Amino acid sequence: MTTTHSYHEVLLAARGISVTRGETVILRDLNLEIRDIKRPGVTQGQVVGLLGPSGIGKTTLFRVLAGLEAPDTGEVLLGPEARPVARGVMGVVAQNYPLFAHRTVLGNLVIAGRRSGQSGAQAEAKARELLVQFGLEEHSRKYPAQLSGGQRQRVAIAQQFMCSEHYLLMDEPFTGLDLIAEENLFRFIRAMAQTDERTTFIIITHDIEAAVAVADTLWLLGRDRDAEGKVIPGARVQAIYNLAERGLAWREDIMSSPDYLRLLGEIHALFPRL
Amino acid sequence: MSDPNPVSPVPPSSSPSPPGAGAAGTRARKIGALDLFLPNRVVSGPVMGITILVQAALVLGLWLAKPVALLPGPQEVLQALARLWSTQGLGPELFTSLRFSLEALAWSTAISLTLSYLTVLPVFRPAVALASKGRFLSLAGFSLVFTLLLSNAHLVKLALLVFAMSVFFVTSMASVVAAIPKEKFDHARTLRMSEWEVAWEVVVLGTLAEAFEILRQNAAIGWMMLTTVEGLARAEGGVGVFLLNQQKHFKLEEVFAIQLLILGVGLFQDYGIGLIRRLCCPHADLTLERRSG
Repeated sequence: MTTTHSYHEVLLAARGISVTRGETVILRDLNLEIRDIKRPGVTQGQVVGLLGPSGIGKTTLFRVLAGLEAPDTGEVLLGPEARPVARGVMGVVAQNYPLFAHRTVLGNLVIAGRRSGQSGAQAEAKARELLVQFGLEEHSRKYPAQLSGGQRQRVAIAQQFMCSEHYLLMDEPFTGLDLIAEENLFRFIRAMAQTDERTTFIIITHDIEAAVAVADTLWLLGRDRDAEGKVIPGARVQAIYNLAERGLAWREDIMSSPDYLRLLGEIHALFPRL
Repeated sequence: MSDPNPVSPVPPSSSPSPPGAGAAGTRARKIGALDLFLPNRVVSGPVMGITILVQAALVLGLWLAKPVALLPGPQEVLQALARLWSTQGLGPELFTSLRFSLEALAWSTAISLTLSYLTVLPVFRPAVALASKGRFLSLAGFSLVFTLLLSNAHLVKLALLVFAMSVFFVTSMASVVAAIPKEKFDHARTLRMSEWEVAWEVVVLGTLAEAFEILRQNAAIGWMMLTTVEGLARAEGGVGVFLLNQQKHFKLEEVFAIQLLILGVGLFQDYGIGLIRRLCCPHADLTLERRSG
């Protein structure tokens, strides 16, 4: 099954990213690019999965892409105008969905809106709109401690949508979710990705099945090997899978597709060598 | 021949389970008195209320039994309290001490919170760490210094108590601030907050519940030190001076009566601060296991 689509301007580019901590090289000359995908008759954002085994440097890359940590070399550029990333421009949902414990759900969203320059009334109006959109309106007066894991995750995402510019970086969003919660999250990400052409999810995970199920593009992060097969320190993008080209993107029924299972096998075979 | 359908659906149950079947899994567990003796159990309010009453009765019974003959019994203590209150002016002395204690608590809280929050600026960290080490010093050693430096007895007393309370307050609060995980700061940063806004949201507002809890402990420390401080600078009187005078004349009933009164005032103050904490920080205890107990 193929889908008509085309690639347009660059929305995010990481060029020559290297990070070293002490003697340890974490990332080495890492390059990647996300382009605007267009589909006829559909508002289609981007969902990119960044896969890699534990300890490969995913969290470091997460922090660099979010603008929370400056790389030793290289830069992250956003939009067609290639603006350097700054913290707060990229929405960030960390693994444990951090929220302000002392603020209610509505308060968490409003403070995010206020910090991005909205007036109190504007922030509250937008917050209430997002709460409806995310199915959270009945929880607006609750504190984060009173929410389930899934609700907390949605509030964390909504909070980032209050102030970020279409980009949402998610760190291990599938960890600890049961099957139903995971499928709900797939549906949610697919639906949110269709709210605006520029909406771009970057999902950093080690969960191959989930990443393939929800992404339109997959990057595999791993380390190179020299001629003798020894690992060269520092992670780079080792493989790129264009799921849209393979007809595996934007499909509700993807997990029952033989092509999906074939791709999983392909990635599983590659994973131990990363 | 292998089973063509190895996964069979479980048929719906048509009859009720026999008595006792699956009791652990299906029957709602009743909270009982036995739970009091099992680790990490949450007991109901009434069970805890009865437990408190039983333990209070045990303490009272032990006191009535007077296992140490020298110690006064409850009746003697209550009579002494009535005597002190009606004829010897314990009420005004208590009021003097209460007002002084609250004044010292206010100063101590303001100074300690300011110093603790200032640790977000690296330049203040060594000074605050040094201030917290003051808890190893003796108050008696400072009374002369403060007497020479300050103009009146009230200020000497105030400086001594504020110092005594602040060194503990700063130690606890600076630890709370230092223990805030990096992810909380990063979260605030991703919402476009400036570092000052991050400090306000994460360090000040984010630790308000802990600040109240430390304030509560410090208020208790204040009452504990009050008698020492009032004893070191006696000019203004107060319940501490009163207590020391009774002790000097070996009036045990009176000493116990004053201690009982201080305990009552302290508990009332503790409850008040706890109430304010619950009103200001309703989120604080939501995840506690014993909240419903």
